[in-house]
Amino acid sequence: MAHAATYQSEHETSVWPMFVGLGVLLTPLTVLAYFVWQMPMVSVVLGGGSLALLAVGFAGWAKEFFQHGTEEGLGPIAVAAFIVSEVVIFGTVFVAFWLGRINHADQWASFIPADLDKMFALWLTVILWASSATIMLSQRAFERDRRGLAMFWLFATFALGSLFVVLHIGEWSHLAAGGFTLGSNIYGTTFYGLTGVHTSHVIVGLASHLLLFGVVAGGLMKFNQVTFYRGAALYWHFVDIMWLLVAANVYLIGSTS
Amino acid sequence: MQEAVATPWFRASFREWFLTTDHKKIGILYGLTSLLFFVVAGLMGMVIRLELTQPGLQYVSPDLYNYLLTGHGAVLLLWWAIAFWAAFTNFLVPILIGARDVAFPRLNQLSYWFFFTASVLVLITLIPGQHIKMMWTGYPPFSVHPNAGPTALYVLIVILIAGSTLGTGVNFITTVLKMRAPGMTLGSMNLVVHGLMASIVVQLLGVPSFVGAVVMLFLDRYLGTGFFDPAKGGDPVLYQHLFWFYSHPAVYVMILPGFGVFSEVLSTMSRKPIFGQKSMLYALWSIAGLGFFIWAHHMFSSGMPYWLRVFMSFTTVLIAVPTGIKIFNWVATLHKGAIHFNTPMLFTLGGIFMFLIGGLTGIPLALPAFNIHVHDSQFVVGHFHYVLGMAMTFAAFSGVYYWYPKVTGRMFPETLGKISFWMMMIGSNVLYFTQMVVGLMGMPRRYVDYPPIEAWINLNVIETVGAFILAAGILVTLIAWARGLKGPRAGRDPWGSPSLEWETASPPPPQNFDTFPVAVPADWTPYRFDGRTISGR
Repeated sequence: MAHAATYQSEHETSVWPMFVGLGVLLTPLTVLAYFVWQMPMVSVVLGGGSLALLAVGFAGWAKEFFQHGTEEGLGPIAVAAFIVSEVVIFGTVFVAFWLGRINHADQWASFIPADLDKMFALWLTVILWASSATIMLSQRAFERDRRGLAMFWLFATFALGSLFVVLHIGEWSHLAAGGFTLGSNIYGTTFYGLTGVHTSHVIVGLASHLLLFGVVAGGLMKFNQVTFYRGAALYWHFVDIMWLLVAANVYLIGSTS
Repeated sequence: MQEAVATPWFRASFREWFLTTDHKKIGILYGLTSLLFFVVAGLMGMVIRLELTQPGLQYVSPDLYNYLLTGHGAVLLLWWAIAFWAAFTNFLVPILIGARDVAFPRLNQLSYWFFFTASVLVLITLIPGQHIKMMWTGYPPFSVHPNAGPTALYVLIVILIAGSTLGTGVNFITTVLKMRAPGMTLGSMNLVVHGLMASIVVQLLGVPSFVGAVVMLFLDRYLGTGFFDPAKGGDPVLYQHLFWFYSHPAVYVMILPGFGVFSEVLSTMSRKPIFGQKSMLYALWSIAGLGFFIWAHHMFSSGMPYWLRVFMSFTTVLIAVPTGIKIFNWVATLHKGAIHFNTPMLFTLGGIFMFLIGGLTGIPLALPAFNIHVHDSQFVVGHFHYVLGMAMTFAAFSGVYYWYPKVTGRMFPETLGKISFWMMMIGSNVLYFTQMVVGLMGMPRRYVDYPPIEAWINLNVIETVGAFILAAGILVTLIAWARGLKGPRAGRDPWGSPSLEWETASPPPPQNFDTFPVAVPADWTPYRFDGRTISGR
């Protein structure tokens, strides 16, 4: 059944999607400048401009929404639909991993680097799953009108997520120094492929936490406007669940010959 | 910076167009961008056709030919066959379900920005030195070779188009699920809404697979990974699987909205409720679902397990069942109807005919025993131009003519529309039927040159004549649309249809309807024509 509360009150123009859109326009130009046109300095400038435009655009967008927009509670449906398509993206890399694993079962033992540490994956899992718990606590605190507590748990989530990224990058450089790189073999390709896709999602999640922190700390988000909170939390839980699949595949199954 | 805008779209300032979050304006932006690229890529096709009229090299170098073929394919599929429906989705869906706008108007504007950025990248490929030549399929190992041109451009274009469709997808799924007029159920919604939504759901599930494939392509080309490199343990056929896992369902993305348009126009112009509305819905959604299990029929010559071939062949033939149900339902709708043969109706009937020919040639192509002999021949090209090329274009033109009075508030010139239809119908059949014949005689696709076999030359000359008639027919339609802007006023409901879009003014006011909520009675259906007459033509 349709909901009567879902009609917007007025027609709008908005400049903020344009800022984000121009940021989007600069992003491919950044990539092209670096990889195709071989102009790294231009690429750095374009990339910086792109990030600035994206930041300004999303911040202005959030501000405008929470000042003028009407809360319709539709966000989580959109995030859920988006997550479905994200699952397919992860699926493509899983297919590549399993195809390599099956086709090269006899050589697989020679692909595994000696310094791959399964315990490390366990620590990463603990960190990331703890952050799932903290964002849940944060959301609950916010829905109970306790803005300070919500900000504390949100900050904890952001800190844990950042710690995950930093440790992960450290692990990558450690493995790469040992000679296990993107181009070593299909295990290297799919190991960095899966963990890389996952980490990029973690970074998107962290960016959404920053935005969330901004609107909560600035007092823009009212206690009855929790849709964005729910959407961001839903996405973060998805990223954390995905990590279990990624780690189970690349660390456990991958390192067993 | 947010402000209320009271003027309708045709009197809006440049600034309002530029910053709009109005679904109607965004829909028109999609439509105009799409039409522009349709013309450009169509002209590329004409150059290809001219070059193939005679054996030998006449007008273009092989390198340029490869670029034109890549551009013709990629742009017509992504900018025309898929994106033109985004114009329909944006303009029509909120009005047809009685909503004020989409669920996330700003996200909708951002989706157009993604599309705009992808369009800019396509323009960059026009610069010499930036030509992409890997064909629209982008198969490795060629696409990761420097001779294929800048792989990154191809990859980024795909990613941006994906961004646009995913943004549109989540937006409209939410809109249709949550913002329907009170009393309207999913089952009683217009079939065209179902067609557009089915195509959006297919994109939401399929596009990421294409994105995954091209990102791996990018990594292989620039960062030395081994996803598709056998020397590093990868598999080039994996790309084909991931690519077709989206790109086969993509043909339903292109045609399912067309089926929706056929249903609307047939029902209105025969003054009869659509026959078997429920079975139409089941057929539509089962095509959308089944479409994900038939991709490997594009790869019968690529090497894959025997059981997979059999499975994919079987499922491909199976999809003829729901398609057949739809065609029989359309014919049954016509039975004992008061049929008005006006321009939208002619384009619909022509589109169904073209789809029928395309579908019937598709069935033998689903059988590996036949397929491997005609694989990569002009027969396949003729086949898919019937389905994707002409059935989709006829449906789109029919839809534009049908909703032209609603979008512009004016009537189009009927005679020009009919002339255009007959020119396109004759031209396309001359062109593509001949192409299938020359394909069966063994002429392969994708090459710039062919051996001077007399029968092939004769048929290629006929094809070129057909192509010119078709192009002239399309030009007549574009003229008709331009002249229609000064045509007589259409009024609210020129076709006498109870569907919601005809309840509001033409063109619709910024807020779509005068009063909200737009409640409909419990037994409402958009296909009940009792006591209504066609005042248009």
